[in-house]
Amino acid sequence: MLPEQQDILWTFLSLIFTVFSVIVFIIVVQNCRERDDVDSKKWGAIFGVFVIANFLCTKHMLTLTQGGQLAFIWWQVLVIFVELLVWGVFCKGDKIESQSPPLIRAAFFWVVIGLLLAGYTNWLPQQRSDPPPKGGAAISADLTMEDFTEMGRIIVFGAKQVAGQKSIGKGQCPLCHTFEPGNNIGRCPNLFGVEERSHTRIKEERYLNLPMKIGEKEPATGVVKGVRDGVDAAYQRGGSDDLVGEDYLRESLMCPSCYVVTGFGKAGDTKSPMPVISKPPISLSPIELNAVIAWLQSKDTPGEFSKVTVPLPSAEASAPAEDSGGDDEEAPIFVTGEEDVPTMINTLGCPLCHTIPGVEGAVGELGPALHEKTNAPNRIKDSRYEGKATNTKEYVRESILCPGCYVVMNEEEGELFPDGVMPGDFANKLSVKAIDKLVDFIANTEAPPAG
Amino acid sequence: MLGKDQRKFRAIPWVLAAVLAVCFAGFAQNAFAKEAFAESVFAEEAFAKEVGAQEAEVAEGEGEPEVEWSQDVFYKDFEGNPLKGIVSGYPAPELGDSDYNNYDFAPSRMLLWMANQQHLYFGSFVLAVPIFCMMIEFIGVRTKESDPVLSAKYDKLAHDLMKVSLTAYSWTAILGGILLFTFITLFPGFFKYMAGIFRPVMHVYALMFLAESGVLYVYYYGWDKMGADPFLKWVHVSLSVLLNLIGTVLMYLANSWATFMQAPGGIDEQGRFLGNIWHVIHSTLWNPVGVHRILGNIVFGGGIVGAYAAYHYLSAKNDEEKAHYDWMCYVAMFIAIFGLIPLPFAGYWLMKEVYAFRQQMGITLMGGIMAWLFIIQAVMIGLLFFGANSYLHNSMARVKGAHRYMKYCKYMVLLLIVCFTMWMTPHTIVMTPAELKAMGGAQHPVVGHFGVMSAKNTAVNLMITCTILCFLLYQKANKKITVPWQTVGNCWIAAIFVFAACNIVFLGVYGYFLPANQRVGLSVPQVTSTLTTLFAGMAINISMFKDSESYGDIQWGTLSNVGCYAIFLLAISFTWLMGLMGYIRSAVRLFWHVTEVVRDNSPDAYTLTIGEAGKMLTFNTLFVWVQFIVVFWVGSLTGKKKVAEARSPEGVPVPAQQQ
Repeated sequence: MLPEQQDILWTFLSLIFTVFSVIVFIIVVQNCRERDDVDSKKWGAIFGVFVIANFLCTKHMLTLTQGGQLAFIWWQVLVIFVELLVWGVFCKGDKIESQSPPLIRAAFFWVVIGLLLAGYTNWLPQQRSDPPPKGGAAISADLTMEDFTEMGRIIVFGAKQVAGQKSIGKGQCPLCHTFEPGNNIGRCPNLFGVEERSHTRIKEERYLNLPMKIGEKEPATGVVKGVRDGVDAAYQRGGSDDLVGEDYLRESLMCPSCYVVTGFGKAGDTKSPMPVISKPPISLSPIELNAVIAWLQSKDTPGEFSKVTVPLPSAEASAPAEDSGGDDEEAPIFVTGEEDVPTMINTLGCPLCHTIPGVEGAVGELGPALHEKTNAPNRIKDSRYEGKATNTKEYVRESILCPGCYVVMNEEEGELFPDGVMPGDFANKLSVKAIDKLVDFIANTEAPPAG
Repeated sequence: MLGKDQRKFRAIPWVLAAVLAVCFAGFAQNAFAKEAFAESVFAEEAFAKEVGAQEAEVAEGEGEPEVEWSQDVFYKDFEGNPLKGIVSGYPAPELGDSDYNNYDFAPSRMLLWMANQQHLYFGSFVLAVPIFCMMIEFIGVRTKESDPVLSAKYDKLAHDLMKVSLTAYSWTAILGGILLFTFITLFPGFFKYMAGIFRPVMHVYALMFLAESGVLYVYYYGWDKMGADPFLKWVHVSLSVLLNLIGTVLMYLANSWATFMQAPGGIDEQGRFLGNIWHVIHSTLWNPVGVHRILGNIVFGGGIVGAYAAYHYLSAKNDEEKAHYDWMCYVAMFIAIFGLIPLPFAGYWLMKEVYAFRQQMGITLMGGIMAWLFIIQAVMIGLLFFGANSYLHNSMARVKGAHRYMKYCKYMVLLLIVCFTMWMTPHTIVMTPAELKAMGGAQHPVVGHFGVMSAKNTAVNLMITCTILCFLLYQKANKKITVPWQTVGNCWIAAIFVFAACNIVFLGVYGYFLPANQRVGLSVPQVTSTLTTLFAGMAINISMFKDSESYGDIQWGTLSNVGCYAIFLLAISFTWLMGLMGYIRSAVRLFWHVTEVVRDNSPDAYTLTIGEAGKMLTFNTLFVWVQFIVVFWVGSLTGKKKVAEARSPEGVPVPAQQQ
């Protein structure tokens, strides 16, 4: 439902409440007619008022939109509860037995169970999945390699994240693959170190011969294995004809069955269950596919892009951005280092959790205050510290890139600050220049003088 | 008296077993059928290629346009290469703004969902009731000679159910019309494509609907006339078989549209029809969805009839009516639970086929954005167990001799509560940073352990085991065991249950020490333990009933109100669960009308949040039950006769205790 539309459940409930009040009115009138000692006019008038009140509530509900309905429905619920209370008084006071027919009780039970179930579903994590934009990604003229690899990361993981939820982007890769060392969900190979493997894999005997030989055409995709020009022309790389690691990565995406990692395939590891990434339903454009390759080549060395072999796309090469549909898509967070330090810090969202001297408004308390000029040397000497830093700058850099490497003690609470709250992906949000600049600044922060 | 009646009631499980056997035969046959089908397809295809090539040559000579061949998106030949077919249709359209219409007050997608779900609910009901009627009427005919009174009672029950179904049938047709108009008016571009592919199927569907209506009217209105003569009565029973056959074909034809949308076949990548309508109908999910729906219909129909009977029980004016509807509740619940037991297996088959079609579609369901919906499904199943146990506990109260076991009920309820709580504990929930900090991470340090599959598998298996134990006690309730080995037998049953429970708990705890991919494998021995209690426990239990004496008849008409509300809980859970699973199956297409072929370019192409979906499911559930009430009320207007004219059904047999 769009915010400007009505909520179908609340509207329905409002109508049901009105019908309920009419039924109660009829039952009360029947009870009154069956007995002479009951004041028919009084009770008829009272329950008639409830009918009118509910009718007006429903009429008003029909004029509201979703947010207004959610706020107003409680008033009608209140009316219904008062009506139930008065009904109880009527039955009790006039000693009327079998007050409500089974239909009413059953309906009440039905509605309560139904609403409890709806409530339960609203209690769980909410994640709306929008369709990927149509067409290819739009490229600007000043695109850097950091931007390009970040584009690849977003294709893999998506730009939006919900607390406690695994994020999945257009490429849908995390459904099956993992990317951190030691994390293996067993569906598909862990892609940690895939850049390094891509160079050695193409020389392995198994790759050269199984499930098909180099130079053979894979029937389902039409890709010729192990040949630079074996994929569709739009996806081919330029340069030498020699088979390189980039070709292996591209081939793995466009022809998953050209080579199947042992233990991860079907029919004796000859068929891969992986979809062809350049075809529906994922349908990555050539630029998007290159961005994913760039990210795969750089992800294990944060801030270091020397291993990326795919070229940056030109703005002209970008697909026309018609109907990109990405207006509501959050722009990925990225700082280049050209900004001043407070801007960088605010862009990255540090002030939400940290108090940072010298940055206006940075008074967060969820994480430790950043007085690193004085704190860092002590922490390096802490018996719990198992990191590799030997000086303040190294410690700050490590803390940014690997927040869980050392968790600071919250002295006021007498316990550690919670681990896992600080994002671990700053490596993908900072250029090399930006991180150096940030480290220089934070390494010199210290508590303001008392008083 | 009871023993005599029990023999008559034995037919119910046999008939149910026969129905299930047919379903299971579908499972088994599928594997063989697929191979045989692949062979025939290959031969057919080779022949078609040859003929096509010849025609092309001839056509070329005559200056006619060439025949174009293209590859099927699903079907493959023997070598695993995509099957080729002659292009016989237009490409799938790239839908634009002009292909979608909408009203201001609600999104088109919600309106279509509502229209579709309401039609499906009623469709399920009207397909399920003839199955019940067939079985009940058959039992009535079979018992006519030995107990004419009881036979008449069965016959009347079947007739009454058909009366309700007849009104619902018209209602279903109206809802079908609304659904059709909703498609045509709100999604004209998409419907045009579907109509282009399924043109002949839609016409056959309409004709089958006509046939169904004809047979239904003859079956219902000929009930009294054909009931007098034994031969005509058998003809009448045969009509019910024919009615069910036509109904099943109707359902399968309609299923083909949905399964094609989810996992298409018989078309090429551009969505062009390749000339073989059977390929389009018989896409990969067609069989499992069909079997799953038949079983689901039986369960759903049982839930509706049970709720109908429970409502009439609560509003009954005299003991006879109460006894009749109490018995009707029992029959309905027995059928519903009997259909429920094999339902998960059909579900597994369906999921297996989904994974075989596209692994990422399966993972999206079980491990991706739809995973939470499966947790909700688990909660719903937990509710079903609660309802079933509660009903059994309350039913035991009216069985003489059950006092010996009633004292255990509270412990079973306690176990169910603990397990249910464990099952519905989410792995993570939405939190503010402050809450996240207060809890020390995304998972709670203690409760978080119950959010993982190890705990959940353990919980559900214990719940099922508890339900089985409850059922065994119900079976034994009015039996005075006389076999000399009763102590040994009881010890065996106790040992089986204790061992199974220990094994389930041990494997659950052990799972925490294993990686996720290995942990999954532990569910197999856990389920095996549970099934062992079912089969071994029941076998020993039944064996002990030999020459047993009875403590007394069942006191029909004395079911507590709580028992009735347990049936209501089952009915609402079935309804909500059916909507939920339908939503999951449909929503897994994500932003595709037809997976990978026709993209959904409407403003509603997003996947809803769980909360939005939950509200819609509750609305659909409440709305359909409002309609059911109206339909039952309309059905009752045709003449309210007193039920249970024949006699007080104290001697009505109990299937669970027939052994």
